[in-house]
Amino acid sequence: MNQLLRFLIVILPVVVLIFFAKILLIDEDIKFSNFDSKNFPEFQLNDLNGDPVQSESLNGIKILNVWASWCITCLVEHPFLTRLSEQNIQIIGLNYKDSDSKANAWLEKHGNPYLFSIYDPRGDLAFDLGVTGAPESYLIINNQVVSHIQGEMNQRKWQSIFLPLIQQAKQGS
Amino acid sequence: MIIKKLFIFFSFIVLSTSAFNQLVYEFEDSLQEKRFYSLISEIRCPKCTSGSIASSDAPVSRDLKNKVYELVLDGSTDQEIKTYVSERFGDFSDYRPSLEGSNYLLWFGPFIFLALMLAIFFIKRRV
Repeated sequence: MNQLLRFLIVILPVVVLIFFAKILLIDEDIKFSNFDSKNFPEFQLNDLNGDPVQSESLNGIKILNVWASWCITCLVEHPFLTRLSEQNIQIIGLNYKDSDSKANAWLEKHGNPYLFSIYDPRGDLAFDLGVTGAPESYLIINNQVVSHIQGEMNQRKWQSIFLPLIQQAKQGS
Repeated sequence: MIIKKLFIFFSFIVLSTSAFNQLVYEFEDSLQEKRFYSLISEIRCPKCTSGSIASSDAPVSRDLKNKVYELVLDGSTDQEIKTYVSERFGDFSDYRPSLEGSNYLLWFGPFIFLALMLAIFFIKRRV
């Protein structure tokens, strides 16, 4: 009996330690990127030029990037998005709680990596997508929301979260 | 003179923008009001490390509160509202995790741990 007690006294703190260490070491970016894929929410919105957006435009492999002219971090990730678009990655913008004139001026000033930007001034589509703030990025494969990156998009997140899923989708098709 | 100054001073306070900042929610009955305040204290703010949307003034929390208000007035049940939110913001958004899967450990873990500790304590005392 004494042996069992000694064993428990040693093993219990170790179990507790491992338990909390595991929680602390989970990569937050990856934690929020994993979820059951869901259909892209239905919406009726225009793009920044005032033309209605067709849901067919979300077929294939697309990155949906939530951005706004008032968002500082969007400016930080902008060069990386530009590089992605130069590598023929198709990025659609979701202009979030912004004004179209400010958004268009921002794109003119900093460059436009987007195929087009959906204009969502009240944040309705963003709410249905579960956007918590700008910037955020979603991986959309054939109208399905497959993965999600909160905050700035960068090389590390791109390679560890989106790229493996894109490669997997390309192999599957 | 001093009265005039005081009048100006208090006018600034009363008419300051913060007085109009707070959204006022109006309900048809007190039950709706109770449900609304209990729901917003059980839905986690998706933008915060820890805290309910009731305690947060983040834009997304404000949107969530408005949506919960709308749904309460529309007659949705508490469960419907929570499902609506978790469909968009994940299970993470519910401060009262459901009794299923790995959540069992969350609910009963502390009691199992306590039982184990008590067992060790009594065994040790007998030895």
